[in-house]
Amino acid sequence: MVRTPRQFKEKQDIEVKTEHRVTKIDPKEKKVEVVNLAKSEREWVPYDKLIIATGARSRRLNIPGSNALNIFTLKDLQDGIRIRNYVDEKRPRRGAILGGGFIGLEMCEAFRLRDMETFLFCRRDLPAGNLEREISEKILKELEENDVHFMAYYEPVVFHLNSHGEVTSFETTQGSYPVDIVLIAAGVIPNVEIAQEAGVELGKTGAIRTDAAQKTNLSDIYVAGDCCEVFNLISQDWVHTPLGDIANKQGRVAGENGAGGKATFLGVVGSAAFKVFELEVAFTGLGTRAAKQYGFDVDSQMIEAESKVGYMPGAKPIFIKLIFERKSGRLLGAQMTGKEGVARRINTLAVALHQKMTIDEIARLDFAYAPPFSAPLDPILIAAEQAAKKIVR
Amino acid sequence: MSKKQKLIIIGGSAGGPSAAARAKRVNPYLEVTMFEQGPFVSYGS
Repeated sequence: MVRTPRQFKEKQDIEVKTEHRVTKIDPKEKKVEVVNLAKSEREWVPYDKLIIATGARSRRLNIPGSNALNIFTLKDLQDGIRIRNYVDEKRPRRGAILGGGFIGLEMCEAFRLRDMETFLFCRRDLPAGNLEREISEKILKELEENDVHFMAYYEPVVFHLNSHGEVTSFETTQGSYPVDIVLIAAGVIPNVEIAQEAGVELGKTGAIRTDAAQKTNLSDIYVAGDCCEVFNLISQDWVHTPLGDIANKQGRVAGENGAGGKATFLGVVGSAAFKVFELEVAFTGLGTRAAKQYGFDVDSQMIEAESKVGYMPGAKPIFIKLIFERKSGRLLGAQMTGKEGVARRINTLAVALHQKMTIDEIARLDFAYAPPFSAPLDPILIAAEQAAKKIVR
Repeated sequence: MSKKQKLIIIGGSAGGPSAAARAKRVNPYLEVTMFEQGPFVSYGS
């Protein structure tokens, strides 16, 4: 935990009320209805400015048996504590994870650390299906090396429960599997209900529509975080990218403007990183499929290079795929994986995206070099050099 | 001087606390209240 309500009060004079649920917004009278969950008391509280930061909740499966005691989702601290307590108490031997996104992948490691036989069920043929195939294939290899059973093309049918209300087997279109614990990692849904009810507009993604000032369509109401959309600077489209770092940036802008300031948040290029056992995975910008969907004339280049000079201890292969506009050579996206030096390296390419740099401009960047840190030609420079040969001008 | 301006923030995970802290820095006279339905705030998930 980063801070407690008491610290907020003492250090910043911010009143924090936990276990208080806001159930209604009245934008005309400028007040919110708050329920004190501990006392079941309800009151209306007036505001001059309001910031909606209601976040998102885990998506659940709509199949029979989904409310079993040993089916979990993972979004916040409490969810993590619940899962750990269940594992401590019941010592499950077989764990099923549904969903091959980064929560599902990270939890494979957690399940294996508790010695569970771990099954990762995925609707598609590869984990992290939104990434480039070459990257997903490396992730699959890492899962297999760590004894995770990857189950491709599954469709859930039903959870079979025992008399205690626990799942004992998971039936899919591919067959039934005995399980002792299930984690559903099927993404999140923005919490927009109270906002929507008050007349706050949603975007086409289903999250709250906003602008660079984090305003909503209603006066004096701002929005930040997983409940709202964010502008993607590469696709020039409003998207729903529920990530904590974006929430913090939007929160600062909403807070500043809510206090009478004039801050703006221009948007994201779409960067993220995660770790699957020893493998680091990081990406920024658009993938090939998304770039094509947005109408770009796309080419790409995949390379393998060493994370540092080969004779240095700990040098590991890095795989980089650059996605770029065929004619202009403008970088559109990059994806990277390897066991060392990946997650930080992607940030360089995030800057390149912000600056709309071309592949040949990237290939000539002056990076710091010494054997413990990289090769004389950094993997990014090698990738850009190779990609530049493909540009048709 | 009119009475203190009130800023209400719904949600205490990431966006809410960032907003609260920034608002208070921009205008220390603002009365900032953050409501969170769960037992924790700023839990960094």
